[in-house]
Amino acid sequence: MVKLINTIRFYSALFLGKLAIYLLRITGSGGTSFPGKLAISVCPDILRVLGSKYRIIMVTGTNGKTTTSRIIEQILKENHIKYIANKSGANLISGLVTTLISDVKFNGTPTSHTALLEVDEAAFRAASKHIHPAVLVVTNFFRDQLDRYGELYSTVEAVKEGILNNPDTTLILNGDDSLCASLGRDVKNPVIFYGMDKLPESEEDNGEVSNSDASYCIYCKTKYEYLYHTYSHLGFFRCPECGYKRPEPLVHVVRIPAMTSEFTAVVFNTPSGSFQARINLPGMYNIYNALAAVTFAEALGFSHEGTAKALSTFESGFGRMESISLGEKNIQVILIKNPTGLSQVLKYLATVEKPSVICFMINDNAADGTDISWLYDVDFEPLKNIQNRVSKIYVSGIRAEDMAVRLKYAGIFTDHIIIEKNNPAMLDSALSTLNMGETLFILPTYTALLDIRKLLKKRFKLKNFWQ
Amino acid sequence: MYEISICHLYPDLLNLYGDYGNIQALVRRLEWRGINVNVHPVSIGDPFLPDAYDIVFIGGGQDYEQDILHKDLLALKKKPLIEAVENGTVFLCICGGYQLMGHYYKLSDGTEIECLGAMNHWTIGHEKRLIGNIVFKVDGLKQQPDSLVVGFENHSGKTYLGDGVSPLGKVVYGSGNNGEDGYEGARYKNVFCSYSHGSLLPKNPGLTDELITIALKRKYRDFVSLQPLNDRIEALARESMIKRLLKV
Repeated sequence: MVKLINTIRFYSALFLGKLAIYLLRITGSGGTSFPGKLAISVCPDILRVLGSKYRIIMVTGTNGKTTTSRIIEQILKENHIKYIANKSGANLISGLVTTLISDVKFNGTPTSHTALLEVDEAAFRAASKHIHPAVLVVTNFFRDQLDRYGELYSTVEAVKEGILNNPDTTLILNGDDSLCASLGRDVKNPVIFYGMDKLPESEEDNGEVSNSDASYCIYCKTKYEYLYHTYSHLGFFRCPECGYKRPEPLVHVVRIPAMTSEFTAVVFNTPSGSFQARINLPGMYNIYNALAAVTFAEALGFSHEGTAKALSTFESGFGRMESISLGEKNIQVILIKNPTGLSQVLKYLATVEKPSVICFMINDNAADGTDISWLYDVDFEPLKNIQNRVSKIYVSGIRAEDMAVRLKYAGIFTDHIIIEKNNPAMLDSALSTLNMGETLFILPTYTALLDIRKLLKKRFKLKNFWQ
Repeated sequence: MYEISICHLYPDLLNLYGDYGNIQALVRRLEWRGINVNVHPVSIGDPFLPDAYDIVFIGGGQDYEQDILHKDLLALKKKPLIEAVENGTVFLCICGGYQLMGHYYKLSDGTEIECLGAMNHWTIGHEKRLIGNIVFKVDGLKQQPDSLVVGFENHSGKTYLGDGVSPLGKVVYGSGNNGEDGYEGARYKNVFCSYSHGSLLPKNPGLTDELITIALKRKYRDFVSLQPLNDRIEALARESMIKRLLKV
């Protein structure tokens, strides 16, 4: 009897969820969490039932989840594996349910057999009770929206608990991140680490005080020594007290032959040999995303040719350095959400040689983090160095004025800051400032990204973000 | 030429929520007026000299980090810090830094964590965090005629003030010290404490200038007042939040 009720619940939830997805799509709103929420309310067990039908690849961590997932997605394509993925960053439990519901047929059988799921690092623990990934890729841990997630170490702890629920999952971990690498210690799971060798691009440990998230040993609270840093607290760390140190990576970057504002050429070393690939997104942090995906491909025994092709052809995710070409002018949208992410984006902007216009869009809705103090943890030095190449700088969003204050106290653009909260007006004004071949860089927080994406979509007929 | 020395205490550990913005605001507003300024990081193992600094900044940290510095704070810094407070050095202590200046922090399981005891206040830990925007009224801020200070609070400890310590301000929006008595922060001698973190000083230039003025007056007998600056953007940021939160 109970079994029958559960069965009825499951199919009703599936039907309602699919109906909701359909209705939301034809109305053009493309909601990615409501159908899942609806289905869960009818059948609380639905994630477990659906999840058991798939081979699951999960990606979590603070930064780079979406880009890493997009590269893995392309790798799956190159290897002719049929998959379903949560494309639009619907990475909470409800979004995962919506994704799986959209793939399952009304009779409950899946269309694809592989699910690639990007999971919010704080939602991972809850998800891990219901679904059991074959592979879990963890990108990194940085301080994020503290009003929502609480302290960084609690987030790491929560992911660790999620892993304990899944002792058979293969872990693919960033060995250069002392927090992330700690997930691979004292667990039964198969573990593969990835990392970057010491390169001319890496930074020496100059002993300077930095706003680092993890300067002290996670096990014994002694200050780490670093042979080198790649960025933020990532690098070759070693604890002089308890001996905890960067694990030997199985897959590693050995050389970066080219690093431009459009792409990076990287040489990877894997147990099955070395190969060079062109990553079609710039920035040091995207090398790490590529490295995570390459390690995934290596773990599954995919060919280097396919992986290299995937790296040079993958489509960047929604608002992740998404480029829009308007004839002779360009717009690039880069999501910003935490200090390390924005610092890395500014470093990337400093490599752009042509003049440009920059627009920061800062919102403080729940999904952005209601506390905007994190803007003060960002190093604006790179922007200072290219002041003469940035013809105008706009600040927009609910907290535009606060962003203007932040720039003023960073000592830049004091006379050039334009506060324009009306996005269409900002867009018109910014685009008219651009000369041929120049780019408008829009740097929005999450809900500001949804706003600007909607406007850009209307203006320039872009794809819906769930497509 | 005037010169101000700022001590940033445990900058590698107490740097949560954009605490660095407060240092930056002090530095810029001194620089913009042609006053020399230098910032000295003082962390674990470093001596704190009670007479060496004009302004001392103590920020907040996560539990993990506060735990790391606790021993060093009590063994190495407690005595000279209290001496500096009693000498009239200007202090700005935010969130965790504010709590550390008091007698103790009592965890929800009853354990008492000993603090500096430089001021007569204490903190009791609670399950529910007090998180959100905060507006409070601080009397006597010259450039902020409405006397309103805007910030963001995020703390699980509730702080109570004893004799000799007065509140920094009166809560107009938000929770403040404990969400009960309507007060926010603390004042004792030249010590300013607040739960409002991150962008407190950049957005509230009146408060920043108050700290700078006290420090300069204490150090230089001939110092009269600061030259005014153009604070248009700061005023916009502050006023837009006041308008939104207080619906005025």
